Amino acid sequence: MDHHESWSLSAVIPLKLTWRNLLRHKLRVLLTVGSLTVAFFLLCVLRALVVSLDSGIKEASSERLVVQSAVSLFVSLPESYQGKIDSVPGVEETMKMTWFGGYYQDSANMFGQFSVDPDRLERVYPEIELIEGTWEDFRVSRTACIVGSAIAQKFGWSVGERVPIIGTIFARTDGTAWEFDIAGIYHSKGASIDDTTLFFHWEYLDEALKAGAAGGPSGIGVYTVMIADDFDQVSVGAAIDALFENGPQRVQSTPEAEFNAQFVSMIGNVPFFVTAIGMGVFLAILLATLNTMLMAGREQTRDIGVLKALGFGSSSAFWLLLMQSMILCGVGAGSGILLALSASKPLRGSLGTMFPGFAIHSGIVQTAVLVAIGLALFAGLAPALRARRLTVIEALREEG
Amino acid sequence: MTQSQQGVELRGVTRTYTRGGESVHVFDDVDLEIEGGAFCALMGPSGSGKSTLLNLVGGLDRPDAGDVLVGGESLGSLSEAGLAEWRSENIGFIFQGFNLIPVLTAFENVELPLLLTGLSRAERREHALHALDLVDMGDRAKHRPSQLSGGQEQRVAIARAIASDPGIVLADEPTGDLDFESAQAVLDLLGRLHTELGKTILMVTHDPRAAERAQRVIHLDKGRIGEAVEAGGSGSAHGSSVSADDGEGFRLP
Repeated sequence: MDHHESWSLSAVIPLKLTWRNLLRHKLRVLLTVGSLTVAFFLLCVLRALVVSLDSGIKEASSERLVVQSAVSLFVSLPESYQGKIDSVPGVEETMKMTWFGGYYQDSANMFGQFSVDPDRLERVYPEIELIEGTWEDFRVSRTACIVGSAIAQKFGWSVGERVPIIGTIFARTDGTAWEFDIAGIYHSKGASIDDTTLFFHWEYLDEALKAGAAGGPSGIGVYTVMIADDFDQVSVGAAIDALFENGPQRVQSTPEAEFNAQFVSMIGNVPFFVTAIGMGVFLAILLATLNTMLMAGREQTRDIGVLKALGFGSSSAFWLLLMQSMILCGVGAGSGILLALSASKPLRGSLGTMFPGFAIHSGIVQTAVLVAIGLALFAGLAPALRARRLTVIEALREEG
Repeated sequence: MTQSQQGVELRGVTRTYTRGGESVHVFDDVDLEIEGGAFCALMGPSGSGKSTLLNLVGGLDRPDAGDVLVGGESLGSLSEAGLAEWRSENIGFIFQGFNLIPVLTAFENVELPLLLTGLSRAERREHALHALDLVDMGDRAKHRPSQLSGGQEQRVAIARAIASDPGIVLADEPTGDLDFESAQAVLDLLGRLHTELGKTILMVTHDPRAAERAQRVIHLDKGRIGEAVEAGGSGSAHGSSVSADDGEGFRLP
């Protein structure tokens, strides 16, 4: 005859005992919950950082190419290339784009600025949507600029305001700041462009350079190329590269996603390091929680024996321990997730320019919840299975 | 929830343990019959099989051969889950070390076995408080075990054992950890359970004075069950009969 007890989900679980056992060592539980809270806060934030970095790559347009010098991103291209690129079949629009590298008031306030063709920006980056001001105002004034909503909010800028930007790559020779008139504030509908950038007229920069009012490399940083619907990035890119095969300056055309990925990798393999740190944190908390639950299981051995003697089944003993693990992980993970959600906005403010679009999305919360469930099962299963297996005689014989 | 008086019967029970690579025969083809409503003391030296007998009757252990019948029901036919359910309905345990759950109050400890019944919360409360009153511990209902003396703890344990009104109470050296006065109080309580509530009581003890409270004394030694001796007892004359196929009977001094 088979005397083994079958698994049952309808086991009677003394909830009061579950809760009291959990609080048997208040300090230990407090420390474990605190560790879980910190770990899940970090898990959410680190995951959000990786997602933020990846989003510029994943959501890059398949209709855009970035043309840069084949030597290096830091080598400028001739202005004359724009017309030639425009003539390549499949090219719908070409826009100059040069990294300005300035800051507002203090060097800590570094954010992205690009000089561009003002009349082409709207067509090349259709995801840029002006929420204040007009494209027309941006196009007509040489000193006009448009700024992302996040950076405008951060510095308290508004349309019509004149803002001074100190150039680092393109410093003005008289030591003064560049002055830009805000013609519009935009919000990006896609992750390939963030809300922390300032776009201004390339000619404003070029004129200052030619007049000797500012120093810095002349030419164009990169050309952003919009491709016609019936053409693909690879073939158009190859045609552009071939066009300048014999100089004077060879170029390299890369799809926007690849270019963004290269740009991220320039500051090191951040996603790898961030993920590695997250894994390390998770592993540490996994072992700490497992240790807590194993100790709890040992301490409750005699209680398990008593419960079974009274008539509680093995499933009751199993759930008694597993529920403690689930409550422990649930409270710790829940606190960590809530903390990350509440800290999301201030963190976005301070990380915004470096990690555009930083946010604790619902997907990150779902991942954290799944991790918490996995952690609760991992930490709780061993003591729960032991409690299930223990006979009354074994349990009561063991020293409490 | 009144249980009819339940008798206990061991039929050709054999139980062998393996300890340190050696087989230890605790019981070998043993028969024993204890009538319902009896108060029996089990005596004998350590290792004689007293606790094993209690475990077999309580469904905590199973014989290698033979059968244990309680109230006419064969325990061998029950699954582990079935045995647990059967225990909750028929058996009350009293342990030497009390084994109250330290994080629960006296009331909550007594209420535990009632969670397995279909009683409502209010009914459970009523039953638990009544059981505590029976052992004169009603005024300590909210105390944790650490706030009680040994004697008080054992009285709470007795209340827990009888809360769901089981027919049989199994007591494993219930006075072993108590001073004389507390031990007497506990024995008085067991006597009342027998005489007033009609419980069948099997009590393991090393103390001859405790055994004197029982109606019958069964002596065990080296796996043999000695002939039952009628002691002073606390109540009506229920009997128990024993036979051991492999050893000669003996009497307590």
